[in-house]
Amino acid sequence: MGKMVFGRYYPGSSLVHDMDARAKLSIMFFYMVAVLCCANPYALGACVAFTFAFYLAARIPARVAVGAVLPLSFIVVLAMLANLLFIQQGTVYADWGFFKITEGGVYQCFFMGIRLSMLLFGACLVTLTTTTLDITDAFEAILKPFARFGVPAHELSMIMGIALRFLPQFMEELAYTRSAQLSRGARLSEGSASERVGALKALFIPLFASVFRHAETLAGAMDARCYHGGPGRGRLHPLSYSWRDAAGVVAFLLMVAAIVACNLAL
Amino acid sequence: MQLVFEEVSYAYASLTETKKPKKSRRFFGKKKEEQAAAEKPAWGNDPAEKYALHQVSLQLNEGDFLGICGHTGSGKSTLIQHMNGLLTPTEGRVLLDGRDLSNKDAQKECRGMVGVVFQYPEHQLFAQSVYDDVAFGPRNLGLSEDEIDARVRKALADVRLDFDTISPVSPFELSGGQQRRVAFAGVLAMQPRILVLDEPAAGLDPAARSSFLSLIKELHEQGLTVVMVSHSMEDLAQLCSRIIVLNQGRVFAQGTPEQVFSDAEGLKSIGLDVPAAQRVANKLRARGIALPGTLYSSAEQLSADVAKLYRELHGEDAGMDAANQIAAGKQPLAASQAATGGAGKQPLADGAGETAPGNQAESAKNNSAINSNESLA
Repeated sequence: MGKMVFGRYYPGSSLVHDMDARAKLSIMFFYMVAVLCCANPYALGACVAFTFAFYLAARIPARVAVGAVLPLSFIVVLAMLANLLFIQQGTVYADWGFFKITEGGVYQCFFMGIRLSMLLFGACLVTLTTTTLDITDAFEAILKPFARFGVPAHELSMIMGIALRFLPQFMEELAYTRSAQLSRGARLSEGSASERVGALKALFIPLFASVFRHAETLAGAMDARCYHGGPGRGRLHPLSYSWRDAAGVVAFLLMVAAIVACNLAL
Repeated sequence: MQLVFEEVSYAYASLTETKKPKKSRRFFGKKKEEQAAAEKPAWGNDPAEKYALHQVSLQLNEGDFLGICGHTGSGKSTLIQHMNGLLTPTEGRVLLDGRDLSNKDAQKECRGMVGVVFQYPEHQLFAQSVYDDVAFGPRNLGLSEDEIDARVRKALADVRLDFDTISPVSPFELSGGQQRRVAFAGVLAMQPRILVLDEPAAGLDPAARSSFLSLIKELHEQGLTVVMVSHSMEDLAQLCSRIIVLNQGRVFAQGTPEQVFSDAEGLKSIGLDVPAAQRVANKLRARGIALPGTLYSSAEQLSADVAKLYRELHGEDAGMDAANQIAAGKQPLAASQAATGGAGKQPLADGAGETAPGNQAESAKNNSAINSNESLA
């Protein structure tokens, strides 16, 4: 209910919120490249500092930011563990035969952990400050040049938009069905594997039924509004660039410059 | 069998967590007013609202028919999810026969005793046949196949579905009304002692609706304790022995339907209303008609009383006269004057415009009585 979900929009008004979605998406793409190009801790430090500054500019409370990333943090933890246990170089701190904790492992563990967290935080900043509608519009605008090669830009972005829009809906319905089946004594978190699979059936069949139901109503509603994805479709809110996008690009270029400087200097 | 809520509160987020935003507010140098304005949405619930339920106390005894009503988002669904331990209170206790439902074992046991039928229960159907779907609950209780079979037969009979024709059919092939009956049977097959229903008649057509409600009434008469959430004040007034009104997670009023619906103004202030017939009765009383009943839950009740009053005032035929004239399409005012004239209560010399003050008042009464008769017809 009140929980933050990965990819949820955090309503507000800030420099980052008001940026053009196309600019945000493009900057995010290059931001990820930049994060992956960090070669040493100083470059990564610069990256962390800039990401922090971006969040400040977006006026997103730390609680919300962490809450948005938390559901995916298991990826970070797994990567950290893998690095810790399998990279073996330098001084050995602990030795369990096959697994050794070494200086290189610890270093890589933190380096990878921070790098992956930055990737997640960067992606979350876009979804936190951009409505799904804007994201899909921007996605379409970015894909548009490929339309002449037969890429169905509009259809793809419409599919993506609908999928994103219905995610929270299905989460809610799943929680609801779960309550209902628990009330009928379903064993979802205990019992043998076969029992659990049976109980899962009771969760997912209603969910799929609901997906089809929603798809039908939605198709009907779109038909009723004479929807067609073809040419000549207008926009209620056309995307437009402003000085904020220029400011965003400048801030991002500063970050790239800092990373390059750190990479070269050390 | 007794279900007791002791000062139950339920918070959305843990209370320590909700304190943090204050810190960040200072940190980002945002003005307090601005923050407050941003947090209060134009519609929906305030996200800063901590409690979905706040200090709710209630007691459900064997044989009760408890109605729960409240505006959307007032905490009704949260409340009923506490009744079988799907949610556990942040503060306070829920006791079923003296056992605290925050205990995991108690929760498991209570699932067989408290059957919750959620809103649109037909959306939870999943099995390949109606039989398997209804048998899902009893199977989870670990009963023998014979017992399960007996329960499925009984449950389907209880919801007035024919076992032989319907049990092998896929639930997805049934009509909406039938699906709801099957889903309902799925809960009844657990043979609960307390049946909790969240808007059981929502989205049904009038015929299906009334037959569904009479079904619930029958089950209650057979000794089942029933809790029903409903937006229909008529249904609550007609069926319940006790009603709880929730507003923003708090108990706004609690008592018999007569007590709860006597406060029409209070209910209106929280976006609810009294049954339509009671609303008309209140208006009639405001205009000086002494209706005998305390709560009118149906139009039939009210019109019967109004007709009785009218006949007491004007003799046995008067009501029929007025009704006939209304049926003939005359204006209510003319009808009332004709009726009073026709009843021979006034001297012939007195014109309609020159009646004595006392008669005028009486005529106004008649007028409104007929008006209401017409609106109810």
